[in-house]
Amino acid sequence: MNAVVWFVTGLLFAAGLAMVVLRRQLLAMLLGVELMVAAVNVAIVHQACLLSDAQALAAVALIIAVAAAEAVVGLALVLRAFRAGRGLEAGAFTELHG
Amino acid sequence: MTLWAVALAGAVAVAFAGVMLLHRSLYVSAVCLLVVLLQTGVIFLLRGAPLLGLIQIMVYAGAVMVLVVVTIMASGGGAGGAECFADFSFPRGIAFLGLAACVLEAVLTLRGLGAGPAMVPAAPGLGDAFGRTLFTSYALATEAVTLLMFLAALAVAPDKEAA
Repeated sequence: MNAVVWFVTGLLFAAGLAMVVLRRQLLAMLLGVELMVAAVNVAIVHQACLLSDAQALAAVALIIAVAAAEAVVGLALVLRAFRAGRGLEAGAFTELHG
Repeated sequence: MTLWAVALAGAVAVAFAGVMLLHRSLYVSAVCLLVVLLQTGVIFLLRGAPLLGLIQIMVYAGAVMVLVVVTIMASGGGAGGAECFADFSFPRGIAFLGLAACVLEAVLTLRGLGAGPAMVPAAPGLGDAFGRTLFTSYALATEAVTLLMFLAALAVAPDKEAA
């Protein structure tokens, strides 16, 4: 069981990381981040249930909430950039404007 | 039985993560992420953390993925009508695979195949300890996260300048 869960976690995290690194669209990068968070949550929940660790389960609940908030803010930023006419490709965002 | 159910859910999650990575369409990628998140929720359920599994399905697979899909549709044809934004067709073979896996997992999780359900019952007292931890020693963090979610909700509210 341990090996299966860690194998799945590793593959999901690698897929998320590859998505962030290889895809050029902002939305795809955001989806990759969400995939990595989900992969890490699987590992934490598995170990928490093995060790009967309630604190780790509480941490996962907080991680889920923070990741949801992060996704909402990220999507709002992406839509704002789209409305501003800057497109949705990561390559268009090379400079910071005050 | 639990091992096979977790392995099945993990295999489906990895397969859909691969499709998500390789497919050009952002809509297909988002729906594949939805399937991956559902599978992780199933793994939580199988490992004996049913509350977290339900939270994962409600918050991620429910609310966040709806937002993602709406955002992709709202920006459809963005970046000069690029194909990755305008393609909303989902491959039937992949959809059928996901549906079959969901049915099989539901059977394995709830009824099992002759050897009882695959879902591991939560360790005695773990649920109580989880709730106690969340609202006593982690109470400040819980309140901070609640405030953060409220502020995140404000981020989607349109401002006068943008309108």
